Amino acid sequence: MLERKSDLFFSALVAGALLICLMFMDAAISQRLDREFVQERREVVRVLTLTDLCLFTEARYTRHPSMADLHTPFQDHPMSFDHFPSGAIMAVPPHLKRKAGTLQRWISDPRERQ
Amino acid sequence: MGAIEKQRNILDFTLSSLGRRKGKNIALVVVYTFVIFLLASVLFFTHSLKKEAFLILQDAPEMTVQRLLAGRQDLIPTHYIDTIRQIRGVQSVAPRLWGYYYDAMSGANYTLMVNAELNDRAGEIIIGNGVSMRSMSGKRNQALRRNDIIPFKTYDGSVLTLKVRGLLPFASELVTADLILVSEADFRKLFSIANDQATDLVLNVRNAKELSTIAAKITQIHPDTRPILREEILRTYDAVFDWRGGVIFMVLSGVFFAFIILAWDKATGLSAEEKREIGILKAIGWETSDILLMKFWEGSAVSMAAFFMGIFLAYLHIFLASSILFEPVLKGWSVLYPSFRLTPYISVYHIATLFFLTVIPYTVVTIVPSWRSATIDPDSVMRM
Amino acid sequence: MIRLQNVRKVFNADKANEFVAIEGVNLSIDSHGATVLKGPSGSGKTTLLSILGCMARPTSGRIMLKEREITSLPERFLTEVRRETFGIVFQQFNLIKGITALENVMLPAYPNGEKHASLKKRAMELLDLLNLIGKAFSKVEWLSGGEAQRIAIARALINNPAIIIADEPTAHLDTRLSREFMEIMRQLKKEGKTLLIASHDPIVYDSTVIDRIVEIRDGKIVSSGDIP
Ligand SMILES: Nc1ncnc2c1ncn2[C@@H]1O[C@H](COP(=O)(O)OP(=O)(O)O)[C@@H](O)[C@H]1O
Ligand SMILES: [Mg+2]
Repeated sequence: MLERKSDLFFSALVAGALLICLMFMDAAISQRLDREFVQERREVVRVLTLTDLCLFTEARYTRHPSMADLHTPFQDHPMSFDHFPSGAIMAVPPHLKRKAGTLQRWISDPRERQ
Repeated sequence: MGAIEKQRNILDFTLSSLGRRKGKNIALVVVYTFVIFLLASVLFFTHSLKKEAFLILQDAPEMTVQRLLAGRQDLIPTHYIDTIRQIRGVQSVAPRLWGYYYDAMSGANYTLMVNAELNDRAGEIIIGNGVSMRSMSGKRNQALRRNDIIPFKTYDGSVLTLKVRGLLPFASELVTADLILVSEADFRKLFSIANDQATDLVLNVRNAKELSTIAAKITQIHPDTRPILREEILRTYDAVFDWRGGVIFMVLSGVFFAFIILAWDKATGLSAEEKREIGILKAIGWETSDILLMKFWEGSAVSMAAFFMGIFLAYLHIFLASSILFEPVLKGWSVLYPSFRLTPYISVYHIATLFFLTVIPYTVVTIVPSWRSATIDPDSVMRM
Repeated sequence: MIRLQNVRKVFNADKANEFVAIEGVNLSIDSHGATVLKGPSGSGKTTLLSILGCMARPTSGRIMLKEREITSLPERFLTEVRRETFGIVFQQFNLIKGITALENVMLPAYPNGEKHASLKKRAMELLDLLNLIGKAFSKVEWLSGGEAQRIAIARALINNPAIIIADEPTAHLDTRLSREFMEIMRQLKKEGKTLLIASHDPIVYDSTVIDRIVEIRDGKIVSSGDIP
């Protein structure tokens, strides 16, 4: 049946489309299975009166983006760099990170200096 | 019937033809698949995260009231509670006490938050899963457990030791990874916050429709406050991920365009051999449109293969392999981050968008430049 | 069957390197005969064949195919006429490398939309006729010169054309293979095909298959007599 290359091609297309369907099915099943966890998270959010996802703990405005005011950048974590698109594609220079880290430790724990 | 058979015949030849430069074409498909894989991964990831945020933040406080001082958020006096409670439609007002704690030992930032349930259990804390993994007690590579003692440095440099009472549910890590719940007394002791001050206020209203009126009234009574509505929280998450996804998408689009230019270059720089073949096909009776049809199938075959593989791999990557390639971006500079498995939310709209943004341009780019070669005079073949 | 009236072909018209390849050609080719275009290299044989085979348009003059004026037909129809009426065997064979002999033979029929199975059957029959059945699934670059030419002939025959055109068919063949080629031509003529061959090889124009020799020199016909 698959002696022609075009048959093979169309079978591959059908297989690809099926794969996409399978993805949607898997997604639907996972959503159903995860419903109880979503419910649990929702409950935790309600009970603890949380306002944000804990995704990025590097700075105040990344940990609690919805609570951040307009002036928070530069004020939070010693390693925070900036709030703007460049921050998403540009890393902080390593020396800056190290210095800032040392400085922070030095400020918070003078004994470590020895 | 004849038309379909013609398409299949030409497709047969196209595939045979592609099979001849196997190495080159496979390399092309691999690179192309990777580009689509990256684009799809970004889309899947941001979409699912947005959806997740939207679902679980449904029960976030209806309204949060902050106080601003010199452009920064500042502690809010608790007597604001009484005046706000007076406003018609306000059901309840409660103070929240929370803040950040930087642990020099692990280099991590934690979110400290007061929970009323601990109020008669001063000296005890409940921690999120991420906190337990980041040992603060000096015991390296060992998760914190119940009854472990953790030293905290207070505002004046003295040490306050607190005992782990328990862990927050594992499933809630996406919202609680860095949380440390403490009693009100310990919190005030740690940061020296007076009893008549709170971090912010959360309130419930009787009728959600009145939220904005109530917010307006609050800023009228207390001009130094800033109310944040739940609706705004939900919108924030849409924007944050659109923004983040957008930046990455822009960079990846650059990659994609570079790829398209490559394809264009390949198609315009048809080799002498390919041009000769087009001449032969024309001389033996193929029309210009048949040649273009062949090029159409060539572009479709390559891009469809890459499209399906790219999409599928992206799905596996994001939802089964925990977005492993995005880890550097996601972790960023944070020492502490949640480990979570995203629930897959995918939309037909995204798949279609990807299709129209990748398969169509690539196919067009393979057809258009071959137009010139397709119109060569067939008699040139007589002299080859 | 084909009539040329006062045909002229100019290359690079109005440029410094303008070249008149064909000048004032009047020629009438009948059905079911074998005609040879004979002349030295550069005399315009190939150019004339391309015009006869609807692959190139003359600069001026008219071409009639079965009493139908085709000089002014649009490209699409010309292609269709070419596909249905002419089978061409190129001097360099011009097979497509990397695909099988069978696919090469089937190629001219692809745009017709014929059912794959019946097309394949016909192609196999042709290969059988030309003693090539064993080579059907070989890649063409592995074939010898003689085999490659027979594949090219099979390809020329797949659309069952009335006229077979061959340009210097024996140029790359030794004497034995050249004679073999003429035998195939004899066979085709017997089946009713019209043959048009350009050659300056005596094996071709002295062959008993040939009915008529048209001599060209410098783009002009110097004699177009029938062989008695
Ligand atoms: N595309 C072209 N442009 C310019 N001159 C050409 C072109 N094609 C053929 N010629 C010239 O036309 C003349 C006739 O060529 P051709 O028909 O190939 O002769 P033959 O096949 O008899 O050897 C030759 O002198 C050749 O150089
Ligand atoms: Mg010639």
